[in-house]
Amino acid sequence: MKRYDLIVVGAGPAGLSAAVEAAKYGLKVVVFDENANPGGQLFKQVHKFFGSKEHKAKIRGFRIGSQLLEEANQFGVEVILNATVAGLFQDKEVTVRINDSIQHYKGDAILIATGAAENMVPFKGWTLPGVIGAGAAQTMMNLHGIVPGQKILMLGSGNVGLVVSYQLLQAGCEVVALVDAASKIGGYGVHAAKLARTGVPFYLSHTIIKAEGTDCVTGVTIGEVNKAWQVIPGTEKHFDVDSICMAVGLSPMAQLLKMAGCVMEDNPKKGGQVPVCNAYGETSIRGVFAAGDVSGVEEASSAMIEGRIAGIAAAEYLGYIDKVTLSDKVGELESALNSLRQGMFALENRGKCIEKTEEGYDVSLHLLQKGYFQEQEVANYPGVTVQRGVHAVIECSQNIPCNPCQDACPKHCIKIGERITSLPVVDENAGCSGCGMCVAACSGQAIFLVNEDYENGYASVTLPYEFLPLPEKGERGWALDRSGSKVCTAEVVKVQTSPAFDCTNLLTIKVPVAMAMKARFFREGSCHAECE
Amino acid sequence: MNSRIEEHPILGKIEKGRRVTFWYDDKKLEGCEGEPIAAALKAAGVMVHRHTQKYGAPRGIFCAIGRCTDCVMVVDGKPNIRTCITPLAEGMTVQTQYGVSAKCANKAEGMA
Amino acid sequence: MRNVNDRSRDIGAFVPAEDDELLICRCEEITKGEIRRAVHDGMFTLTEIRRYLRTGMGLCQGQTCSKLVKEIAARELGIVLAELEHAASRVPMRPIEMKVFGNEKEPGKNA
Repeated sequence: MKRYDLIVVGAGPAGLSAAVEAAKYGLKVVVFDENANPGGQLFKQVHKFFGSKEHKAKIRGFRIGSQLLEEANQFGVEVILNATVAGLFQDKEVTVRINDSIQHYKGDAILIATGAAENMVPFKGWTLPGVIGAGAAQTMMNLHGIVPGQKILMLGSGNVGLVVSYQLLQAGCEVVALVDAASKIGGYGVHAAKLARTGVPFYLSHTIIKAEGTDCVTGVTIGEVNKAWQVIPGTEKHFDVDSICMAVGLSPMAQLLKMAGCVMEDNPKKGGQVPVCNAYGETSIRGVFAAGDVSGVEEASSAMIEGRIAGIAAAEYLGYIDKVTLSDKVGELESALNSLRQGMFALENRGKCIEKTEEGYDVSLHLLQKGYFQEQEVANYPGVTVQRGVHAVIECSQNIPCNPCQDACPKHCIKIGERITSLPVVDENAGCSGCGMCVAACSGQAIFLVNEDYENGYASVTLPYEFLPLPEKGERGWALDRSGSKVCTAEVVKVQTSPAFDCTNLLTIKVPVAMAMKARFFREGSCHAECE
Repeated sequence: MNSRIEEHPILGKIEKGRRVTFWYDDKKLEGCEGEPIAAALKAAGVMVHRHTQKYGAPRGIFCAIGRCTDCVMVVDGKPNIRTCITPLAEGMTVQTQYGVSAKCANKAEGMA
Repeated sequence: MRNVNDRSRDIGAFVPAEDDELLICRCEEITKGEIRRAVHDGMFTLTEIRRYLRTGMGLCQGQTCSKLVKEIAARELGIVLAELEHAASRVPMRPIEMKVFGNEKEPGKNA
């Protein structure tokens, strides 16, 4: 039986981070993963992460995945793929299925970082080919380069539903609707907004009645629900689709810990049954740790920090470092973790109805129900100012730990401050150079450059654009407002791409000056018949 | 519309393995070497992977990560192969699975 | 909060519902109605429901349906989810063929 200082189960963000950290202190580490590829969900994430620099904000998930893997290589961490850990026994022994045999391994410390699995919502016709999980859509698009379908309906308005819907648009699918039985969008307002402006309609307080089709999905019917979750007769709506995507939450896969005898608790805010852990991620069994989604569904950013904390704690448990070092190192990481756990979407706020931001601004109900601001609401926020010449307009209205915009501006026009959940404030006196770095840096794609003095009677709006084909300078089309409706014709006057923007292209369109605070997206199209 | 993404706004040009041919029931199809069989089938427009034991209901890709087992087919004569995580190889035979074993496929198709 | 199910409790008669035909266990093709009926047949724990109906014993080993079965059973029993004990977690965590179990090897040696 082979022995390691630390056996990590799961090569996702938490597992790899822990392994790297432990290896730095000299531990002999092995990481088992049942998949053929490491990285867990990281490599499916093509969007930019939130948080601050220490949380790897503004960097796309799959790039963070590559960085982690490189680090693991660098520190000599052994990663064994296609290895399914079948059981965790007393004395920290694991049995692993590798190819066609079972092998036994012994760890002096164990870290379970097996992540979470997708939830399901059954409805009539849900077993038809064409009904897929959100993870399946991501895997197909972002790992295998296959479009999951031509027309999709998304069920679920949490961050996964919102982000995957956007990724579906990027892959070339049409998202015909986003549906959720809840009355409010569960994920970030900015994720919803970037979807809504492309024209994706949101149907909150709606549920799927049935999926239609004989051999595969050909259509879907949804209906509005009342407070008792029953469908209100007469509210049925039908869509022609070939796919239905489910993004209805995640549940920790903590069975290994349960099997080993760890004390578990049922915590709905954490996603289900999770192990009871101390601040270092140690379970009720000494030397057995848990990190990442398996100990509570959050994000990859927090998973990585939890992993690192557990890795250091394992090093202390095995005597590689002393308690003082443990305290120091973990102290820094804990404050990084805490700063991520603030704001409107923090664990303790889950389920609460938040009406005002920390600063006292009204949280937009319209945004939470329809996915976009009503025009008059936008002016309330500190990121939205009226100025002469080009200036940033930041349509950010929720307290989310995130500050890449502040660091992006070379002229220091944008201020967030120490508390990274604060709403960004645009300084009316700082001189904006119109470089667009802030537009590209915003992971929520909520920043625009507006210049109402562009030309006589015309304004320019610079917006982030992450689709193909990329429009060209001189192209004419339509400007869409926040709800995705056409508001006027528009001409593309500038297209900027730069490695510094990391695939977030900047599109500058020219629109009538009255549209400066309406136009938020561009769609090419011949408008001869319609424009007058 | 082509199911294969040639160029992605973030991921750029999608690199795949060389084109190989394989058998899907009685049809000859093309896919990329090394990609999951299910991906090659999806690109070719195939939605139904199997029919269930009890109700004969059609099933296809559901989780795409080898957990749900809805996408299993008979591959090179072996049943219950998860096509979403099994890499495609030149000359593979992939058959619609009926029920839970390879035998049912023969029965239903009337193949020798 | 106790995890013991009081079997003498009267949960009322089985009332047919509109969605009884809805498939819950995709692998073994078991419907919501069958699960609810099982509870009325006396299966008050998830382990019993699993053994009675085979929900969670198919190819995916409960990966897809476990949570759903738990919710349906809890509702039928009229209790909160947390009061219903999860079915036991046992080796193997993932479905593994018997021939593999009969093939124990030393790690590193000829696999």
